[in-house]
Amino acid sequence: MITQEEIKTEQGKVPYIEVKNLVTRFFTSKGIVKALENVSFKIYPGEVYGLVGESGCGKSVTSTSIMDLIPDPPGRILDGEIFIDNFNILSDLKSLAKIKVRSETDVKIKRNKSAIKRHNFILSKIRGNKISMIFQEPFLALNPTISIGKQISEVILLHNIIGMADSIIKRETMKTTDVDELLEQLAEINDYSMRKKIINQWTRNFGIPDLEASITSLLDHVTDQKYVAEQIAHMIEENQREINIDRIKEIRDYYTIERKIFELTLNQIQFERTGEIKKAQEAKAKIRAYKAMSKKKYFKLRLEMRFFSKRVLAIFHKEARRRVLELLTLVNLAGPEVVIDEYPHELSGGMQQRAMIAMALASNPKMLIADEPTTALDVTTQAQILELIGELNKVMGMSVLFITHDLAVIAEMCNKVGVMYAGNIVEETTTEEIFNDPKHPYTVGLMNSLPRADKKREKELKFETIPGNVPNLITPPPGCRFHPRCKFAMDICSLKKPKLTEVSENHKVACFLYSNESEDDVA
Amino acid sequence: MELKYYIIRRLLVLIPTLLGLLLLTFILLDALPKSFLIEQFVNHKLPIPAQNLEKQQAITTLGLNLSPPEQFLIYVNNLIHGNWGFMYPNSEGYGSYYSGPVLAGIMEYFPVTLEIAIFAVIFSIVIAIPLGTYIGSKPNSVSDQVGRVFSLSGYAMPTFFLALVLQIAINPYFPSFISGQGYPSYTHLSWIKSISGTEVSTPTHMLVFDSLLHGDFSLAAVAFGHLVLPVLALSYGFLAGLLRFIRAGMVDASNQEYVKTARAKGVPEKQVLRKHVRKNALLPSITVFGLVFSGLLGGAVVIEEVYDLNGLGRFGLSTVSGGYIQFFGILGTTLFFGIVLVMANLIVDVLYALMDPRIRY
Repeated sequence: MITQEEIKTEQGKVPYIEVKNLVTRFFTSKGIVKALENVSFKIYPGEVYGLVGESGCGKSVTSTSIMDLIPDPPGRILDGEIFIDNFNILSDLKSLAKIKVRSETDVKIKRNKSAIKRHNFILSKIRGNKISMIFQEPFLALNPTISIGKQISEVILLHNIIGMADSIIKRETMKTTDVDELLEQLAEINDYSMRKKIINQWTRNFGIPDLEASITSLLDHVTDQKYVAEQIAHMIEENQREINIDRIKEIRDYYTIERKIFELTLNQIQFERTGEIKKAQEAKAKIRAYKAMSKKKYFKLRLEMRFFSKRVLAIFHKEARRRVLELLTLVNLAGPEVVIDEYPHELSGGMQQRAMIAMALASNPKMLIADEPTTALDVTTQAQILELIGELNKVMGMSVLFITHDLAVIAEMCNKVGVMYAGNIVEETTTEEIFNDPKHPYTVGLMNSLPRADKKREKELKFETIPGNVPNLITPPPGCRFHPRCKFAMDICSLKKPKLTEVSENHKVACFLYSNESEDDVA
Repeated sequence: MELKYYIIRRLLVLIPTLLGLLLLTFILLDALPKSFLIEQFVNHKLPIPAQNLEKQQAITTLGLNLSPPEQFLIYVNNLIHGNWGFMYPNSEGYGSYYSGPVLAGIMEYFPVTLEIAIFAVIFSIVIAIPLGTYIGSKPNSVSDQVGRVFSLSGYAMPTFFLALVLQIAINPYFPSFISGQGYPSYTHLSWIKSISGTEVSTPTHMLVFDSLLHGDFSLAAVAFGHLVLPVLALSYGFLAGLLRFIRAGMVDASNQEYVKTARAKGVPEKQVLRKHVRKNALLPSITVFGLVFSGLLGGAVVIEEVYDLNGLGRFGLSTVSGGYIQFFGILGTTLFFGIVLVMANLIVDVLYALMDPRIRY
């Protein structure tokens, strides 16, 4: 739980994800489904943000919109900004498609293929790399025909080739002076955990994480520096394989150029958005030059990668496999050596979800979207998975967007909560506040429909329910979308939409009960 | 390892399947009137009593006086020993139909059918997979509609019609494609005959492959040219069926949750299609492959007649159209087609197990 002090420091922080006025629609034959209406929120690094609401309120649409995975057709993000790590992934939204709405059921969408191609190229570098996602039903979300290990290593091979190449080159060209450096570093430090950290970092740096344990024990038990250095050098020598380093360097350089093209494309899009056409054109010319250069210089490599990518990248596949084993251990999967070659149907639901989490962690993203990750699991497994996600948040400092309809899970997991109703966020505050002092009538209704074991409820063992159903989002009620079901509905509620306004520190509510707006503003 | 046991088990299951097939063909044989068969052993120029005697002799030689189970055992025994019966020369003496041992006849005629079938399967797969992938990735687009028309017409068009149309349409422009004319005969080739004039080297009995094996590329090209039209005509229906199924599989697979996962991992769009969608889309098509294959063999009967190829289809046809009803010929052909189908389905099952890890053994 975030304390008062932490909240204050939050003011200076930069949010990792910022969603602004997100509007998502689905164009169906029955009409336009207004799934999301101006949804905005921020998630800071290390925070667990919970989105809660009834089914059909737009929680999952929000999460898929952030990844821009809305299936098109029928869905489209119409408006809004989504900043992931300070880059707005929707900056080129306007150029993607032209939408003409003639009537509810007659919508013409004209897609710009080249712009969509560029958009997908950029997103493919962001998804899984900066932000990753786990799903409600792990059995459906894992590909049944590919082994667990390959599905996870796919992510690593997509996003981490350069890093892997660096560590391979370092390992293969390692000298005794490198070992001496480590020993020098360690000589000054006596703190056990610090030593461990340094050893961990060093082994990781040289791509030999599996030697970490033996090096640590060697350093702990033997004091003769010279002997230790010899032994470590020997161990590493054994680990070195006969690898064509020039080849690896070539592959690394090739991928570096690819990355450069990606960065330039980002620049280009940003310039296009701000209207600096000259700079955008410059970036475009540069991209073209790089592409031509890459095609010319790495013609042979590209050809080989196209047809024998497995053989060309064999060493990386091996390297990735190591990392996958590490990941599977990290998510507490029993027997990672066995699981890595198994197929999804051979695992239980909980194990599948752990494998999904391992996949989501594969390229060290700073943000995880968990879309009802425990709904399809049984209760004991639920607890384990929640614990695992909580641990990852604490240990690795990963932010989590947690989507659920279960308030108990929210209480256990989240720092901050957004309550969604019919495509809007109606209340947003800290977890403590939402349970102690819920403000929006819908939130209050949600709380009252929970079975509670405290004294207050003991006498009246009746659950209150919220009357009515979630509105049809093709024809949502005007004004506040909750007003037909609301006990406190006033005249203004059906006329005007309440804005999400701050009623107290860190507590925002979208309801006229708490705002000063009067009916006069309507006109 | 596991796969090995699976294949062994499938092979063991093959034994009862084949026995069932034998029984079925035997019952078919038993249901036919025998007098046709017996008449073939009778010299009609002899006086009636002598004819009756010959009939009696024929019944005992053919074992028709034995009980059906005994007959069945003798039948199986003969089959195993390679005695599949005999096809008698045409009494009227017209046409150039095969006469001689049935098994030898099948062995002589089958390679031609196999040759077209191989090329037809290869051609269909090579076309259907990429085309189906492309069409299936854009459902209801213009290309999808074109593909739909293409494959539905493939379903609807009778094979003989297409074969004739191709023959007529292409004849004036590519005379080298026309079968029957200028088709190189085995007997004139120097590498087949040794100096003494005996046949020595036709390992596959298929002209294209034999000539390729001997490095005679010009002959291979000529032989292949003659196969182009039959293969095209034969594979159209097959191709159309595969295309529809791959397209349906693609549409189905691309709506699956794991495709969303793949995109969420950052897999580029092309790779999503190639790696995640297509593999799963091909699975149902593999099963269909076995079913459609029977159509391919059936089509061969017609194609061979139109294009004047001495294949197994024609062989089968000659057993009923040569004036006599060739009992053993019908039986042998039916059995052989049955064995080929069973084998094709075995291959399909093993392929499926290879592709889909969920099928375990």
